This record gives sequence, structure tokens and C-alpha cells, in this order.
Amino acid sequence: MIFSNSLEYKKLTCQLDKTNDVITIIGCNTCIRVSGAGGPDKMKELALKLREDGYNVKDGIMLPIACMEPYLGIVELSPEVNTVVSLACTAGVSNIRRNYPHIKVVETVDNIGLIVADTNKGVVKIAMPYERHSHKLGEEYPIGSDGKNKMEKEQIPIEVGVE
Amino acid sequence: MIISLRDISYEGLKDKLTKDDKIVLWSCNTCIKFCGIGGYDNMVLLENMLTADGYDVIGKELVSIACMYSLTEQHRDNPDKSELFEEATTIICLACEDGYEIAEAVFKDKKVIKVVKTLGVGNFTMDRGPVLTAPFESTGLEQSDEGYSYPEIAEKLGLYPTFFSREEARDDSSENLVNININGSDYKVKENLTIMEACMEIGIEIPHLCSAPDLTPDANCRLCLVKVKGEKELVPACAVSVEDGMEIITEDDELNHNRRILLELELASHEHNCLTCHKGNPVIAGSCELQNLVRRFGIKESRFEQNNEELPIDTTSPVLLYDPNKCILCGRCVRACREIACQDNLGFVNRGSETVVAAGANKDFAESPCVTCLACVFACPTGAITEKVAHYTGEDWQEELIFQS
Ligand code: SF4
Ligand code: SF4
Ligand code: SF4
Ligand code: FES
Repeated sequence: MIFSNSLEYKKLTCQLDKTNDVITIIGCNTCIRVSGAGGPDKMKELALKLREDGYNVKDGIMLPIACMEPYLGIVELSPEVNTVVSLACTAGVSNIRRNYPHIKVVETVDNIGLIVADTNKGVVKIAMPYERHSHKLGEEYPIGSDGKNKMEKEQIPIEVGVE
Repeated sequence: MIISLRDISYEGLKDKLTKDDKIVLWSCNTCIKFCGIGGYDNMVLLENMLTADGYDVIGKELVSIACMYSLTEQHRDNPDKSELFEEATTIICLACEDGYEIAEAVFKDKKVIKVVKTLGVGNFTMDRGPVLTAPFESTGLEQSDEGYSYPEIAEKLGLYPTFFSREEARDDSSENLVNININGSDYKVKENLTIMEACMEIGIEIPHLCSAPDLTPDANCRLCLVKVKGEKELVPACAVSVEDGMEIITEDDELNHNRRILLELELASHEHNCLTCHKGNPVIAGSCELQNLVRRFGIKESRFEQNNEELPIDTTSPVLLYDPNKCILCGRCVRACREIACQDNLGFVNRGSETVVAAGANKDFAESPCVTCLACVFACPTGAITEKVAHYTGEDWQEELIFQS
């Protein structure tokens, strides 16, 4: 699974225009939900916050998997929408950008790397981070915590870092 | 999805094996399947290749998500599989390196062989298949929305763009074959196949709903019944193996009449509403197999009384919808959850015409211990369990479901 953490809210809003942008949020319901940076609840929270702050969020679409074109094909954007806020990992964002080349697509997360998950314990462990996050190798977080509340004691007893 | 490419040749794989190894093939059914490497079919292909070359493949295990540690442990500790995993000395892992790390930890006492290099994340595209969009820095490739295709990556990084190919193994076409006759023609097929599998290999399609290649047979829908010379009763092709000299009839007026009746009964049992069904058109999890059969048999309406009672749809899961009105009680989801997800979260409750699939202890999906792996979604032949696609609008962000068709 892919681990992504939310970017600062300001990093998102500085790319948005209150008067001209008509926004659809496209969300992914897989890895990013387990990470805690996405999923239906996060989407609602973000949509209502953006609206409260004066942005024109028209609607949201939650896909089961945003990095697969066949799912993205289900989406029909309203004609007035000119901006997509992506609540998916980098792969989901690329998929949206490629399929909507004329629309502004704004990212909301940073991809940390690949994780293993233990749903019984409710924990994820960073197994293959991107190099820029290599110091995070082996770190563990509660499922859905968005990279917060790092676990003190090892929960998933596996050695990470494939040779 | 996570993008991995094969990094070992078939010869290289064989170099890691000995003829004494007791091999279990371990295959993940998520990202890596869409990379053309994991999933069920590739596991069968590799099993055939290794067996032809004289290696001892003692079992195959399809795992819905191999990067879930808990789920992987449950597969290993499944009492039905304890003998298999006790006997195994070698695990060939058709999962990404993330899944491989888990397999290595879970099977500490065994030789665990990895066959891929995991390169980052990417997309599954309609025209180019899997592409890598966010590569690990170590690949030396830049991030790209367009994505790198498999042939391109293979060439750049010295990897293999496809799975192992049948031609690389020894030709065993003369070994372990039995002679059978189907619908008047003679064939040689591999022993140990079911009648259904043998027919599929030959290209004869027997109607079926409750069986799937990656699940154990349950023979409950009775659509695949065929005639076998010498047998008094009709025989379920999905559950009975071929034998030397078997003479089989897969299709005649009587069999087709029975099938038509069974299909009409299914249609009458609930309101299927094919026109507004998720699976009315092909989606990533396939198209509705019931509808396809109804078309194939030219059924316009059911001669049986229509049950119009509408059962409530369970929309509580974040990832799937369960519409009992479209359920034909084939049990594929129940077996997928038990065998591929190793969760046993689904089962039948009630009796007779009241029977429905239930999650957990007859709770809704959100309250059940579902790990949202989608194995049941991919197993369901109808629109009864499908992926959830939701649209949110209005002041209070109201949820409304979108149909994929
Ligand atoms: S878009 Fe990203 S978060 Fe969603 S399933 Fe694909 S890889 Fe996972
Ligand atoms: S019920 Fe949940 S755990 Fe079981 S197969 Fe379906 S998605 Fe997976
Ligand atoms: S939900 Fe689908 S797979 Fe499960 S019993 Fe019903 S029709 Fe079969
Ligand atoms: S497919 Fe054989 S009985 Fe259902």
C-alpha cells in the first residue's frame, strides 16, 4: 500500500482562486484512506473547510481506486468546473492530470512511500520510502493517523528495507 | 497502484530451486495482478511451467492483499492449509517487494524467492496497461504524469516487460494426458482437470455461475450439469474431474432446457433491474455473468412469478455496495472472503427464500471486520457486490451513489 500524508492546508489554498475556480474534489478510497490523508470523511472535512474559507467547491466524487483509468472514466465533471482538488496519492494525481489536460489539478498530499499494514492491530509500517523520506524507513503509525502519533514500540515484527 | 516489473529470467528462477524443494506459489491479487505478474492465472502458468520441468509444486495460495501483514499471517495459520505450509520448503512470491518483505517475515523458516523489482507507483491505463508515474529516486527516472510504459522501463532498467512465458519451459504435452470425448469429438487433456477446466482449455464454454477458476467448487447453481456416459444422474462439470475414456455431452435440448429454467428462476427470485445495474456494462470487475447467460439463452422474460419484494441495499462500507436484490446466492463472495482474503467475514443467513449474504455477525458491512480488500467484489458474478462510487453535493455534502454503467 502507498503511504501519503496531507500537505499543509495553506499549500493547497495558495494554488486556488476564490473568484474564478469552480472546484470538484476527486477522492480515492484505497491506500490514502488507510493512510488517513483521504477517504470520505476527510473529503467532507476538506470540502466544508474550503467552502467556509470562501472557495467555490461544487461537488466531490469518491472513486474506489483513483490510479486506475477505468475508474476515472466514471467521472463526469460539470461543464463549469475548471479545477480539481485531488484527494489521492501522486499516482492518482497523474491519472487525473493525464485525463483532464485542460483542468487545473491541485495536489493535497505528499507520497511518503510504500507501507505494510496490520488491520488487526490497526498499524501501518513504512517499508519502502521514497529517498527524500528515507529517514522514515521502519516508522509505524496508527491506521488513518495521517503520519501523526508515531508508535513508540514496534508493532509489526518484520524487517524492512529489501536488499 | 504499486508498479513492479519482473527482474529474474525463468532460468534464473530455476537456478534458485532444487528438485527437492516443496514449492508453494504465493500470489497477490491486487496491484501486481494489474502489473501482469500476480493474480491467479499467472500462478497457474508458473505451476505448469515448473511442473513440466520436474519441480515439485505442492500448492498455490492466492492472497487478496499481500502487503497486509495480518491477512498474510491468517493465510499461513489457516487450519485448512497447515499441512501445506508445514510441508513447504520454498515460497515463490508473486507480489511486489512490499508483499515480499511480509512473506519473508511470515515464512521465516522457508526459502522465499522474489521475482520482481518494485519501482514506485503509477497507473493502470486503458491503452498502455500499467505505467510508472512516480518512480523511486533510485531508478534514475523523473516523475511523469504521462508515465513510463513497461517496454520502456524494461529497456531502460534491464528488466522484463512481461511475466514468464510458457515457451521457456520444457514441453510436457505428452505427459499425464487422458483421452476424453466431448460432444462426439475426441480430445487429449491433462489429468486432474475438472470437466469444466478441460472444456475451457479446449474452448468449449459450459454455462456456470457459482464456479470460478480461483475458488474451490461448490456446485450449487446446477447450470454446469452435463451428461456423462454411464452415469445415471447429471454431473456438475465444475466439481467432477475428467477420467480416461469419459464421454461427455455438454449441450443438448434437455440440458439447455434445464439451464433456461434455472436462469428464469434466478431472474424471478428478485427484481434484478439490469438497466440500472453497475454491471450492466463491462466494468473493471467484469460484466454481469447472469445477464450474459440470459442473453446467450435468448431469455426475454421469466415464466415464473416475479418476486417484487425490495430488500434494502447496504451502502455502509466505504468501498463496496451490497444489493441483495441482485444476489443469486452462488456463494462466490463467501468463498472469496474465506479463501482469498482469509477473513471469513461473509456467510449466508436465514433459510429458504429468505436466505441472504450477511457480513460479520449479520451486521452491516461497516460494522463487520471487513478489511476492504475487494476480493468479494471481484468474485461476485452479478451486480450484488460492487465497488462503491459516490457523488457528494449540496450544503451538507449529501452522498448519492453513481452507477458505473
Ligand atoms: S490512487 Fe494512490 S491512494 Fe489511491 S489506490 Fe491508487 S495508489 Fe492507492
Ligand atoms: S467482505 Fe471485506 S474482507 Fe471479505 S472479501 Fe469482501 S472486502 Fe474482503
Ligand atoms: S453477493 Fe454475489 S457472489 Fe455473493 S452470493 Fe450473491 S451473487 Fe454470489
Ligand atoms: S458452476 Fe457448476 S454448479 Fe454452478
